[in-house]
Amino acid sequence: MAFYEQHIHAKPKTFLSKYVFSFDHKVIGKQFLWYGIFFLGVGGIMALMIRWALAFPGVAFPVFGSFLFPETGGVIPPDTYASLFTLHGTIMIFYAITPILIGCFGNFCIPLMIGARDMAFPSANMLSFWLAFVSGAVLLASLFTPLGGAAGGWTSYPTLSTLIGSPGVGQTLWTLAIFILGVSSTMGAINYITTVITLRAPGMGYFDMPLTVWGLWLTAILNAIFLPVLGAGCLLLIFDRVFGTHFFLAGAAATSGTGDPILFQHVFWIFGHPEVYILILPAWGIVSDLLSFFSRKPAFGAKATALSMTAITILSTLVYGHHMFTTSMSPLLTQTFMTLTMTISIPSTVFFFNWLGTIWRGSIRFHSPMLFSLGVVFVFGLGGLTGLHLGTVTTDLYLHDTYFVVGHFHYTMAASVLLGGFAGIYFWMPKMFGVMMNETLAKVHFWITMVGLNGVFFGMLILGYGGMHRRLYNPFWYEFLQKLIPINTFVTWSAILMGFAQFFFLWNFIYSLIKGKKAKDNPWEVGTLEWTIPSPAPHYNFDSIPVVKCGPHELGNPALGEEKDFQYQTEELAKV
Amino acid sequence: MIFFDSAHAATTNIELPQDMAMWDRIQAPVDISANGHLIMSLFNYTTGMVIFFFILVCIGLFGFSYFYSEKRNKKAYYTYGNKGSHKKVGLIFGMAVFVLIDMAITVQSNNDLVNTFFNFPKGKDVVRVQIMAQQWLWKFRYPGEDNVFNTDDDIVTINDLRLPIDKKVVVQMTSKDVIHSFYLPNVHQKRDAMPGRLSRMWFELKKTGEYDIACAEMCGTHHYIMKAKLTVYTQEEYSNWLNRANNIALAESDPEDLDRYWGWKWEE
Repeated sequence: MAFYEQHIHAKPKTFLSKYVFSFDHKVIGKQFLWYGIFFLGVGGIMALMIRWALAFPGVAFPVFGSFLFPETGGVIPPDTYASLFTLHGTIMIFYAITPILIGCFGNFCIPLMIGARDMAFPSANMLSFWLAFVSGAVLLASLFTPLGGAAGGWTSYPTLSTLIGSPGVGQTLWTLAIFILGVSSTMGAINYITTVITLRAPGMGYFDMPLTVWGLWLTAILNAIFLPVLGAGCLLLIFDRVFGTHFFLAGAAATSGTGDPILFQHVFWIFGHPEVYILILPAWGIVSDLLSFFSRKPAFGAKATALSMTAITILSTLVYGHHMFTTSMSPLLTQTFMTLTMTISIPSTVFFFNWLGTIWRGSIRFHSPMLFSLGVVFVFGLGGLTGLHLGTVTTDLYLHDTYFVVGHFHYTMAASVLLGGFAGIYFWMPKMFGVMMNETLAKVHFWITMVGLNGVFFGMLILGYGGMHRRLYNPFWYEFLQKLIPINTFVTWSAILMGFAQFFFLWNFIYSLIKGKKAKDNPWEVGTLEWTIPSPAPHYNFDSIPVVKCGPHELGNPALGEEKDFQYQTEELAKV
Repeated sequence: MIFFDSAHAATTNIELPQDMAMWDRIQAPVDISANGHLIMSLFNYTTGMVIFFFILVCIGLFGFSYFYSEKRNKKAYYTYGNKGSHKKVGLIFGMAVFVLIDMAITVQSNNDLVNTFFNFPKGKDVVRVQIMAQQWLWKFRYPGEDNVFNTDDDIVTINDLRLPIDKKVVVQMTSKDVIHSFYLPNVHQKRDAMPGRLSRMWFELKKTGEYDIACAEMCGTHHYIMKAKLTVYTQEEYSNWLNRANNIALAESDPEDLDRYWGWKWEE
């Protein structure tokens, strides 16, 4: 569809219309950023409490343990422990990564990078944030119900998540919160898709979009297709819990009917596998762009990168069965899912090759966003490759539900996405808030995070190989796990180190907001559309809609001469 | 008759293995099964390949970062990466990953599944056990002398599975309440036990001794204590135990106790 001129609202005057109920995509992006950082903190503290219980069973949690668990003298009780890992997973996936990577960068970057004045549907955009806010409130409220928060794992498999296994109202509220968040994200996704299709600046073809926008766009497509599936599953679960239906009840647990708990697993993972790509695709996009920007050369095989991301998007919808290898599916299905899963490594190899091709013979500037991007290449290499063990049925029979899985998905979903998110925050900070962040603090943040993170997640891979299964309150109940105590302790200390490193980020972030160095319009010297306008981005972004004349990665062109090694997308491609 | 090994149920006095080399600590649990080596050899092959390709990534990552930093390389090489040679190298890497990892492990895993893990043994010589999982214990049912399940002479144990060495064992399992997973760390296998469904698994044990059985699927607050003991007997010991247990089972069988009959007709 062709580009159309957007309606321009008057500049908001009151505090409420400017910062709270704003239609402006930039403000909504920042709201999602604050929301995500808040929940990142909550989820992070939960992670540390989980790690504490695993490494030092029976020892009181330091500092505020005795305040939180007075009955046990500060020791985390087993039911709270179950609630903690459930909410850690839920919060990190749906309330931290999704808002930061998709909510914040999606909202902030898509219109700026494609030369639009706002999203296609500004009020749906605002509603999307406020629904997410309601959902977050419902989730937090579920913690204070009489029987405690949800405790069935973030996957919440029935029949554990039905009244059989968790009678409290906390689980119902949890399911409701996820449903509301699903509505919110679907709304956002429709908005992103429409914006990218209809509001690209004149002259901008799909392959002239920065890869960040590609990643966010593919994510939005997956979200729009698969979040409704999760929503349906959640609704059926709520029906089972509240209205006494039997969708997911069977066997001795059901009084009658033909329900099936495995039905939920199918519904959940049809959504759940695309979900991991929903989380990682924006990070891949950001990293693909940043590697090119800071290597001062065009993205290597940008078209192939975009197409392989598309291929992965399509394949991701066909492989969900590998989460269910141990449920005794039909052998034919098992083998099919294994083979399909393996094919994902071909497009993955292509864009890994392209990432390395991008920095090959570059002129690399090691600013903090670049360090974080290189970090993503490292941790995603480990995370992606360990997926091979789990996609293979026979090795999965051993590794399924062990810490190997935990290590693998943290490397892919947590480590890569977190580093990609930090890269994005350091990179777009000037455009978002008009200030630069401190480079030294950012580098200290990066290196300590990298050490801690690899200690945690590689330690988890080792624990999993040693046979330690997931979600154990006290793994040392088992004789065969007792030899793993020192490794558990090591992982916990690494986690504490990683948590400690985030204070450097927090300090840096808040300090730069208050007293940071004022940013130039284009501090990183790159040519995509958001850097053609002042920092911070003004009301309605572009005075006149830009006309795009070249690709997003025009750096290092020898025809450009000496004084400048990049060109803006609005400039005609320089020719010798 | 239900045997409840109280000494086993209260293994709280942890004796930490103190002087153990780190290398020994990070090993997988000892393999006591006839086919566990198939899983472990595939794991080792995959790990080898993963290490190989990860080293390639690291060489690129650290090597390029070192040699092409702004200091050492003032002017970047202007290319879109769409030359014939670029595509060829990319294609070689893609094919290498596809053939060396994907094809190799998919084919191997598929063969193992078809020939071994999904190829369930049949016949009189096979030991058959039914498993009922519930929050938070395992019940095991042996068919007794008549070799038919869910009859009066069945032997039922709680958290106590005793099996003979060198015999093929087939277990069928289901769950009473929530989803559990029957995990034998020393056999390197697990299978979910689900309410309303029967799932099955087979293995052959090659080493006598006592081992842990665990629940690998989150099943509630006390998921972590859902532990059972696996005792592997020599065939002679096993038949002695079976005889004793049979007699006790027959003597103490109470037809009025309906809770006893949770078994089902064996499904071949």
